[in-house]
Amino acid sequence: MKPVSQLGLALMSVLCSSVALAQSTTVLYNDRVVEIDQTLPDASDLWVKPEDLTRINDFELKPQGACLEDLCIPVLQDRDSELYVQRQGQDWFNVTELADMLQQAWIADYRDGLWSFGGIPFERRGFFESAEAPEFALPDREGNLVRLADFRGKQVLLVTWASW
Amino acid sequence: MPVWQVIYEELQAVNPNFEIISFAQDSGGEADAGPIFDAGNVSYTSVIDVNHHISALYNLVNVPSAVWIDEQGKIVRINEGTYAKNHGAFGTDEYAPIVRDWVANGADSPYVWDREKVSDKIFQRTPEAEKAQPTFRLGTYYFNQGNDEKAEQYWTEAQQLDPTSWNYLRQDLKYEDGGSAGPEWRERRTQIEGAGGSYYAPLDIEPVTDN
Repeated sequence: MKPVSQLGLALMSVLCSSVALAQSTTVLYNDRVVEIDQTLPDASDLWVKPEDLTRINDFELKPQGACLEDLCIPVLQDRDSELYVQRQGQDWFNVTELADMLQQAWIADYRDGLWSFGGIPFERRGFFESAEAPEFALPDREGNLVRLADFRGKQVLLVTWASW
Repeated sequence: MPVWQVIYEELQAVNPNFEIISFAQDSGGEADAGPIFDAGNVSYTSVIDVNHHISALYNLVNVPSAVWIDEQGKIVRINEGTYAKNHGAFGTDEYAPIVRDWVANGADSPYVWDREKVSDKIFQRTPEAEKAQPTFRLGTYYFNQGNDEKAEQYWTEAQQLDPTSWNYLRQDLKYEDGGSAGPEWRERRTQIEGAGGSYYAPLDIEPVTDN
């Protein structure tokens, strides 16, 4: 979490900035490459529209908060906060602040407007605690999506290798 | 690995519910891994995983590695340096027989681990190593955009954040003088093994007697 003074500064920078088109923004998460048309300019954090939040990581902004399946991070939407602001009638959501709250690793190349997010620890509890095989959906060589969920009832030997 | 094909055909005849999903951890994509899949005449599910997503997801740090997943989607073995056979300079003939046993006997196989043992065997990453994953991913994005300078910057940073990952090191070395099994790799391997570390998580194929 950021110290309060820095947080205040970050919020100030958002308050002072006008809503404008930032440079093109690309977000990487799992195998996704998500292009974002419009972000709220900010020196350190990634603010996106609620619909783009969902495109990035499946979280949905609902009245009770930012939710993914049975997990909901409370978000007050009648005032500005570190997670949410409203500018000229448009809602903006802070993806990197959410990542910090979820202890999700991320890195940005600010110059190129590229943001890359790691796995969400909350989603990995089943893996560490009860040996649940993490789900994935990756295209095979013909472009068909391979989902682990489609292999229920099978014994699966998952192997990795490389040309190097 | 494509050399699994013979074993796949053999075991599918015994149990049609047996499947192999093979993930090439290759940031160079089809150009690097495709011909090797083709040469193996592979009929099982084949994925070229440019972002090394599966290694990130299952906490695997080297190739080849394997995970056994049962009919309910539970992991029953994980994090082993695994080969279909002994290739002479590398590989082992000890692993394929236990896969056969699992396919024949399912949950009753003495090589199936319980939940607790699986949890113990999952490789544990430090918070820095967790950050290596999105950093490597960023480097791979640049690599596939043809921006070699930025690719090198973030791939190097990923290796510093997670020195336990052989994948990150060797993927990077593939595109440098000396290659992925050259002097730099040998030096690192000797260093780590000299300090009592292991290049592969050692095989633990003792049957579990109290299953």
